Amino acid sequence: MIHVYGVVEELRELPPVTGVDGAPLERRELNGLELVVSDVAVEAVSQEAVLRHAQVVEGLMSRSEAVLPAQFGRPFGDERELAAAISTKANELERGLDRVRGCVELGLRVAAPSESPAAQSGTEYMQARLAEEQALAKLDEPLARLSRASTRGAYLVPAESVEAFQEEVRRLQAENPELTIVCTGPWPPYSFGAEEA
Amino acid sequence: MSSQSLQQQVTLLELVDRVLNKGVVISGDITLSVADVDLVYVGLRLLLSSVSTLEEQNEPVLAGRALP
Repeated sequence: MIHVYGVVEELRELPPVTGVDGAPLERRELNGLELVVSDVAVEAVSQEAVLRHAQVVEGLMSRSEAVLPAQFGRPFGDERELAAAISTKANELERGLDRVRGCVELGLRVAAPSESPAAQSGTEYMQARLAEEQALAKLDEPLARLSRASTRGAYLVPAESVEAFQEEVRRLQAENPELTIVCTGPWPPYSFGAEEA
Repeated sequence: MSSQSLQQQVTLLELVDRVLNKGVVISGDITLSVADVDLVYVGLRLLLSSVSTLEEQNEPVLAGRALP
């Protein structure tokens, strides 16, 4: 099967690693779009495969003008199937590349001090998630101003604004000492590839 | 929990979440092979597929049924 890592723009070179199943990374050009793929016997969700996928996507981001990370777990049976899917999605993927070019993703997680991830019941988990949603909404405005786009807990930030964004997170943390604010990333733009439904 | 190990734990969780749940789904608008005919369903929740294709991909067989 064909495992896809992402769609890339002006990829200078492939990262110096093998793919999730140990097969070499390969480039494909379809409908004017460039993809990076590798052969897999079966698409197994193992920690090793997930980390390797992430490593490849990071490597693609640092070697290209834009990358749309592909979701793990959607392999293609053969080249024809891949080509057909790309031809259906080509315009959407082009728009995706436009959207993410020059940007990284920064993640935001918020926890109240009493939250203990290990020992939660289902209800406690849901309540904690609701509290997090409310905290994220409160923190959103100044961060959204520095972003090209945002979705729940994730911000698409132009590379040149990353430092200002992180500074803003520090400021918000200082203003909200009762919360624990964690800013993760920079990530490749996993959350901004798909268009809003 | 130290703030550094919290950061590391959150980062790993975030990484796995991104790789498995986020990312663009290129095959989202399913193109399926039924015999030698490709059928494209865009935005519909009803899939038709050859049983063997789905079984190979370890997907539950959905032929002729609407998805929940």
